[in-house]
This record gives sequence, C-alpha cells and structure tokens, in this order.
Amino acid sequence: MNITVVKRDGTREPFDANKINLALMKASEGLPDQISKVVEVATQLQLTLFDGITSQQLDEAVIQTALQNVKDDPDYDKIAARLLLKNIYKSVLGDYDNAADLKKLHVKKFPQFIAKAGKLGLLDKRMTDGRFDLKRLAEALDPTRDDLLNYIGVMTNRGRHSLRLQSDTANHLETPQFTHMRIAMGLALNEDDPTTAALTFYEPMSQLKYLPGSSTRVNAGGAFPQLSNCFLLEVQDDMESIAKGVRDAMWIAKGTGGIGMTMSKLRASGSPVKTTNTESTGPIPFMKMIDTAIFAVSRKGLKMGAAAMYMENWHLNFPEFLDLKQNSGDPYMRTRIMNTAVYISDEFMKRVEKDQDWYLFDPAECPELTELYGSKFSSMYQKMVAKAEAGELRTFKKISAREQFRQILITLQATSHPWLTWKDTINTRALNNNTGTIHCSNLCTEITLPQDKDNTAVCNLASINLAGHIIQTGNTLAIDWDQLAHTAKTAIRHLDNLCDITKVPVPEAMKSNLDNRAVGLGVMGFTDVLEQFGYSYESEESYDLMDQLMEFISYHAIDESADLAAERGSYPNFKGSGWNKGLLPIDTVDALAADRNVKVNISRKARLDWDKLRTKAKKGMRNATLMAIAPTANIGLVAGTTPGIDPQFAQIFSRNTLTGKFLAVNPNLVRELKRLDVWEDLKEEIFASQGDIQGIEGIPDSIKAVYKTSFQLSPYAFIEVAGRAQKWVDQAISRNMYLESRDIDEYEKIYMEAWKRGLKTTYYLHVKPRHQSEQTTVSVEKIAEKKIRTGGATRGFGFAKRA
Amino acid sequence: MSDYQHPKNGILGSGLRDGLSLHPVRYQWAYDLYNQAVANTWFPNEIQLGQDLADFDKLSDEEKHALKTVISYLNPNELLINKSLAFGIYPYVNAAEAQIYLSKQMWEEANHFMTFEYIIETFPFDRKDIYAAGFGKKSLADKADFQNKHLEVMLDPHLDIYTLEGKKQFVRSLVAYNIVLEGIWFYSGFMVGMSFRQRNLLRNVGSLLDWITRDENLHLTFGINLLLTILDENPELQTQEFADEIRALILQAVELEKAYNEDMLPNGILGLNADYVNQYVMHMTDRRLQELGFEPEYNVANPAKWMAAANDTLELVNFFESTNTSYEVNSTK
Repeated sequence: MNITVVKRDGTREPFDANKINLALMKASEGLPDQISKVVEVATQLQLTLFDGITSQQLDEAVIQTALQNVKDDPDYDKIAARLLLKNIYKSVLGDYDNAADLKKLHVKKFPQFIAKAGKLGLLDKRMTDGRFDLKRLAEALDPTRDDLLNYIGVMTNRGRHSLRLQSDTANHLETPQFTHMRIAMGLALNEDDPTTAALTFYEPMSQLKYLPGSSTRVNAGGAFPQLSNCFLLEVQDDMESIAKGVRDAMWIAKGTGGIGMTMSKLRASGSPVKTTNTESTGPIPFMKMIDTAIFAVSRKGLKMGAAAMYMENWHLNFPEFLDLKQNSGDPYMRTRIMNTAVYISDEFMKRVEKDQDWYLFDPAECPELTELYGSKFSSMYQKMVAKAEAGELRTFKKISAREQFRQILITLQATSHPWLTWKDTINTRALNNNTGTIHCSNLCTEITLPQDKDNTAVCNLASINLAGHIIQTGNTLAIDWDQLAHTAKTAIRHLDNLCDITKVPVPEAMKSNLDNRAVGLGVMGFTDVLEQFGYSYESEESYDLMDQLMEFISYHAIDESADLAAERGSYPNFKGSGWNKGLLPIDTVDALAADRNVKVNISRKARLDWDKLRTKAKKGMRNATLMAIAPTANIGLVAGTTPGIDPQFAQIFSRNTLTGKFLAVNPNLVRELKRLDVWEDLKEEIFASQGDIQGIEGIPDSIKAVYKTSFQLSPYAFIEVAGRAQKWVDQAISRNMYLESRDIDEYEKIYMEAWKRGLKTTYYLHVKPRHQSEQTTVSVEKIAEKKIRTGGATRGFGFAKRA
Repeated sequence: MSDYQHPKNGILGSGLRDGLSLHPVRYQWAYDLYNQAVANTWFPNEIQLGQDLADFDKLSDEEKHALKTVISYLNPNELLINKSLAFGIYPYVNAAEAQIYLSKQMWEEANHFMTFEYIIETFPFDRKDIYAAGFGKKSLADKADFQNKHLEVMLDPHLDIYTLEGKKQFVRSLVAYNIVLEGIWFYSGFMVGMSFRQRNLLRNVGSLLDWITRDENLHLTFGINLLLTILDENPELQTQEFADEIRALILQAVELEKAYNEDMLPNGILGLNADYVNQYVMHMTDRRLQELGFEPEYNVANPAKWMAAANDTLELVNFFESTNTSYEVNSTK
C-alpha cells in the first residue's frame, strides 16, 4: 500500500518511516534496550496506518502505539510522555532542536504568552499590570523538569489544567512549565514582592514537591479566579433556602468546586406544611433537583459537576435516602451523579453495639438534633425517644439499630454509597467549633467546617508529594525532613494567599472564606514511599512512618500559620477557637474519648515539642484549619505518584478518568523485578492475574509482602493508617476502603472499628469484582484455566488435532 | 448408528417436565454462572451520554460511518441471538441450573438490544439511516445468509434432540450463534467501539460496552462449557468428520467478516484500518478454536494491545468523573 500523509496545510507527502524512527529514538534516549523498543513501536505503527492519514493523526497514532506497550514495560510510558511533550512544545513554542533551544524558547515565549493571554481576556488583570518581572520569571523556567511527568501526568495537565483558547479548546497556550508559573503568579498577586513570591511557589511546584487542588490549577491567574476546591452548604427547612441551595450548587459547580450539602433539616415526607395546608414531599425530591443541577453544569468540561449529599440517619426518610444510588427504581428517587454520605452519631454506634432500638424522627418535631453533637445530642435523642414512647409525637419509626447499620453496609457494598462519616468525632475534635456545628463534610470527606444559613464553608487545598521528599545517600533512602518542612511552610503561605484571591459568586461562601481562612494541606504518595523503603502497608513501620510524617507536617503547618498571624493578623473568628484556648489537634483525641465514653484506640505517641507550639498558636493563628488529606485523584496523576494515603490498587490496573482510560503498571515493582531479572519471564503471568503477584512462583516473599493489592491488605491496616494520620490532622481524611469480602458481618466489625479508632470519615468502598470481560490480550491457555469448568474427560475437539 | 443411546441425565433433553429440579446441582459451572450473571445486572440509563454527544460532532465522516456500522450490526443481532436461544437452545437444555442461566442471558440480550436503542435514540442518528447502514452491501448480506442458514434449522419443529443427527444440528447452531456471532463477530464491533475511548472520545459509550463485554464473557463461557459437556456426554459426536465440519464452519465465518470489515473501514480511521481489524478477528478466532480444543489457524498476534487497558484489568474509577461499571448488585447476607 502506498501511504501518503496529509500535512496541516493540506498538501500530501509520502509516509517517511525514517522520520518516525528518529522521533522514537529521541523519545527513548537513555532507556535500556532503546533500539528494540523503537523497532517494536515502529513495527506496530505500520499496522495502523492508512493512506490519507493526517500528520496530526500520525502523531497521535505513534503515541498510542507506544502507549499500548506499557503492559510489557513502563519505559514505554516515558516514550509516550516525551512524544506528547514534544507535540505540545511544537504547537506552543514552535520548532526546536535540542534541550538548550527548548529552554531558550521557554524564556523568550513566556512573556509573550502572558501578554497574549492577557489581551485575550483569559487572565486576571493583575497578571499583566506590571507588578511581575516577567523576564526574571521566564528565566527561572526549567523545562527539564517535565521529564518528571509520566504520560497520564502530561495528559491530565494538558487536558484539564493548561490554559487554552476559549474559541478553540484544542489550542493550548501553555507548556507544563508555563502552567506551573501561571499558577505560581496567580497565588502571588497580593504579595509585597510578587515576583519573588511567585518564584518561591514555582520552585517546589514545578519539581512536583507539592501541588494545589485542581480548581486552583485550572483557575489560578485566570480571569475567573475561583480557586477554592470545596464548599459545604446546609439547606434550611424552607422553600427559599432550597431554591438558593440549587442556585448556589450551580454557581459552585460552574467554578469547578466540589459540593458537600446536607438536607437533614428538611421535614419528612407527610409532615404538615402550614402555608398551604398540605403535606411536604420530604427531602428526597429536592435532593434529586441538586443531582439534576450539577449534571447540567459540567464544570467547564474540565471536571464533572460533583456533589455529595449528607443525611443524618435518624431522619424519617433515611430509608429512601439509602436507595438514592440503587440502579433500578423510580428515576425521580434516584441520583445518578450525586454521591451520598451518612452522618452518624455516637449514640447510634453505641446502640448498634448494644443491639438496641433506633428511632427515626421528623426533623420538624425535633429541630435541635441537627445542631447538637456528642453527649448533648445523646441526651436530646433520648428525650425524643421518651416522647415517642409516650405518644407525644405526630410520627416516628422504631427499628433495630443493628438492622439499620447492616442495611447501610449492604447498600454500601452494592452501590459504593453512602459513605460512612461520624458527626460526633468530627465536631468534638474540631478546633473551629466556636463558629457553630459542622453539619456535613464535603465531596471527598476530608473537609470538616461549620456552615449555617449565613455561612457556606469553603476550603482551599494543596497536597505534598511525599515521594518527592526522598533523599538517597549511598544505598539508603530517607525522608528529606528539611525540604519537607520548607514545602509545608511554602504551601501554607500559598494557601493563605489564596483565601484573599479566590472569588466565588456565593456571598455566604465569600464571607465564611474570609472569616475563617480555612485551608487544608494534605499528602500524596504515601504508598510510593513505603514501596521504595521496602515497607508493607500493613506493618508497624508503615503506621509509624505515617504517624511521624503527619506529626511533622502538621507541626510545620501550624507553625507557619502562627507566623503568618504575627505578620498579617489572626483570622477574624480566632477568638474563642480551640487554638485560642491552647488546644492542638492531638489534644482533642482524649476529649473525644471522654465525651463519648468509649476509648479511642490509637497510640498517643508524640515526638516534637508541642508545648512550645501550643503557646505560640494560642496567641494567634492565621487559619481556622490547616490540614486535610484529600484523595488527590487528579493531581496525584500529575505528580505521578500513588494518590493520597491509598494503597496500590493492584500492581497492574486501569484508570478510568475524564481524560481517558489508562493502564497503570507499578514502576517500583517492575524496577525490583528487573533487578532480580525476572520481570520478562513473569510479566504475562502478573498481567493475567490482574496485578496480583501473591500466587506467582519466582518472586521472593519479601517482595510479595510489600506489593500486595489493595484487596489483599487487611482492612484494619486502612483504618490504622488513617487513625494515625487523624491524630495530627485537624480536619479529616479521604479514607478509601477496599474489601474482597462480601460478608456483611465482617463489614460491621470493620466499620465499627473505624469509629472506635477515631476515624472522622471514610470514603469510597471498592469491592473486588468477581468477574470481568475476557482478557483478550492474555494468552488463551491462561484464560482457559478459568473458563473451562466442566471437568470433563475430553477437551472438546482436542481429539481431532492434526499436525 | 443404530446402536446410538441417548445418555441418561445428560444436559440435553426436551421433556416438558424434565429438569425442573435444581438440586442436586449437576452442572456446578452453570449454577455459578447464573449467580454471577445476576450480580452483573445493570441498566443503560445508569450511564449519561451527554459528553459523548459533544464528541460525536468531532468525529470525521469515516469515523461516524464506522460507528454507525457497528451499531447497526449489533443492535438487531442482539435480538437475533435472543431468538436463537429461545427457539434453538433453551428447549433442548435439560438441567434447571442451565435453564435459569439461559433465562438470565435472554434478559441480558434484551438489555443489550435496548442499550443500542438508547444510544441510537440519544445520538443524532437518522434511524432509517442506521437500520439501512450496511444493508444493500454484499458483505452484510453474506453474513445474514450465514446466520439464516445456521439459525433457521433451530426453528425446525422436527428436530429430535435424542438422535445423533439432532445433536449435531444443535451443536452446529450453538457454534454458529455462540462462537461465531457472540465470540467472533461481536468482538470486532466491540473493539472498534472501544477504540474511540483510547482517544478519549465516546467514553460513556465505552462504559456501556464494558458492561456488554462483561456479559458476553459469561455468555461465551456458558456456551463453551455447554459445548464441551455435550461432546463429553455424547462420544459419538467425536468424529474427525464432524470436527472438520465445525472447524470449517468457523473459518468460513472469518472470511465473511473480513469482507464486512472492508466495508466498515473503507479508508481507515485513526488507529484502525480494515487489515488491523481483520488481524484482530483472526486472533480472536484462534482463541475460540483453542478454547474448543482445536489447533489455532492463523497464529497472529493481537494487534489491539491497548485492549489491555480497555478491558483486561481491574479498573479504578474516579467516581466523580466516570460511572463505576464494576459494581455488583447482590449483596450477601
């Protein structure tokens, strides 16, 4: 076949295999077996060509072809990433020959890019008003840092974070380093020396030592600086407030913020409505409205509209709430997009343990319950129970607490919802409880801030990449503590700046944001570090490391916020806060145990001089909250590390994201197996077993212990890791759970234990699927072992085999 | 053949009152497959296609043509499979565990049919156009002829499953519907459909195809186990002549599919051309041959290595971005 390529200008040229080979050589520089890799990709590429392919399609085909080999060697990911980067450089900066050229082009084009984007109205006016020394910033750009990115990182940055033309969203204006610098500038706008501050932020960000949340990455420095990530709203029991809730949800979704919302206050279905002398339909149909609203607003196509609806489980309509995520039933009583979470009291957990009754009420008859928490909630609840039994209530329902708990867990297994979160642990441990009750958490269950009809809570996030803080001396790896302290402090300063820069078209959110200046610094890459250190996720070393890391980061975050308070003043609601009373996150663990009268089963060990910090924080804090461990599902991809504190899902698995479906092969494991010279022999078997190495001969037990899949780890390890971190985290943690078991008795024990060890929240539950599609890229013999189950004497037409 | 004896308590039989008792379970594999099938229950409207609609505008004419061809083929044929099951398979299966599985499979075929309806109704397709897509083309007519030839015998009211000839007829039908249609022809359509997702297009259609292929894997597993069981229980079927006939039937289907692929992708689209799909079909055919105990015919590699990410591994979903398609609905206890 004669293949011609159609160029951008419409002219045709014959396909030139040599050109492709050269590009592949360049993209695979420094990788082992370079030639064989180039030949492999080039040969496979031939298969996909056709006459009349455009040069753009050809570029994409080369990348896709490289990428489909990741299963055999993660090095192909590097090749694909470099090829994609090259395309981005070419389209944003123009042609270049070598690394020195590329650096020069970055320096030359950056000021032009800022000017152009400013003229197009894409930037905040302050980006172009002369306050920045663009030349100095441009000179700091270091494109060699792009080599830290893997393919999914480049894709995620290009597909979501980088600035593009409004009229032509395929037309990107930024290279990855431009993106980092634009964000750094966007967070330094209001500093006295904005250029120096921007450089301070650019340095660690461009080295992927920490990254801000996605909303910040998308909007920083932009014309619409909605930089905040999380919003928490409480809907009141009146039509006006419900309508406002829908309105606010739409605005927040538009600005790419995630929404946590509660409708626990809404009267139950059947409850009288005075104004019309009719009955209320209850909260469920209104929840459906929120679901529809966020579906309609798709966060600029960069993120999908997303919300989590919270409900307390004593609400009369809780059983219908549980069904919101079922896949069949009345579509008006199902929420396809919105997530659900249950907000659980200590009273309930105790009643489950004692196998006692549980009462469901109409909030119209007990408006106090949503406002109270801890022991005060318990006494009010018990009063309501007495009233119910005395026949003083219009309506109530009595069920077994244990039965409801099981029902929650059964629904969780089938639909991954509702997530379990604990109201009293959240509120009792809060240092910001001088400003009211925390009625719900957020979209990712890591934010715990109060909200009411005048305040919509806002949180601003960033996450430290722990794997970016490893130093090697000789053969030993260790945490680079000095760098970690520096990164934590830089991130807190950046987050504090963000509070003044972010804009949200919801006045109640702006108010709460400035009154509290709440921020959440988290981590990612925990498992990546464990693997590099050779620790198992479910080991004492792992728990201790988590404990130590979070203590350290928390210490420096609080210290920096206290310093900022001295420099810039305390946050307006500081007076009367826990900080102000001399409390630190660790101090609230015992307070929780005392209030609920149930032990918090977690070590209280501390290593740093907290007394000193306690005195300092008492004098003033710049931020109402400082820590929260987000899931980092997106920025974890940019950083190229394991998300949040999650374990390795499997050693090989696929990621289904908004930017596409990608194969992930654990590079740490492959490195180990290559070192032992067994990767080539075992890779097919590891793939066929879906990234589970435990049953594979030829892999040492020491490696097997470190590289378990998420479904093979003890669920109590997930709880312990989160429990240790939660000691030091003043907000909460997105704690994903992974279970192979489908036994609800076990679920009961696991989630009961999570509450006992002081977890504030849990997040998604991943249950291991028992069955999947045919693995068409795995040899048929491997599959047949699983598929053919007749146990028959003959194997089909095997008798008819011919030479 | 006069000494032929129908095996007692075999998996084949047609008595109205036979096979009404589940216990003792004779074919554990069928029972396991039923339970898994129930757990896999899903509905197309769980997936929203809004984003895919926007993607559709971005497709080139060739890409749109390929997509329409795939859908116009799969949509009616899901229902054809259902008919085959109803008339040609179900009546002759004599074990409660296999019957309940087939009942669930039939619902799944209906659900797949409705899934393609859902796509057709959502996308700006001209319905007539879709149903006409490919029709009039010889390649599709030849495929239809093949189907009719092998499936029409299922409607034969005189088929006697207790005779050797009746069993041969049954096996031919089973191979035609299960191995050829579901196991080879459908897979090329799925692969083409999923290839769009590799370029981050039609992701949600891709999610629907994830579900469908998850079901298809069970259908094939059931069909292959059924076939192997029949061969096992009826040694008289194990002749070189019959084996050659079945092998030839499968290989004939491959030739028909190749011609069809040329019509689906006359010019090629990004990442795919007719040769590529043909190689995939040959590779899949080798898999099916091997599963039935035959030697492979073509010995070609799977060109679609990217299916590793699309289909072969556990999937971690960003829940707030994609619908999780790996959940199961029957919580225990």
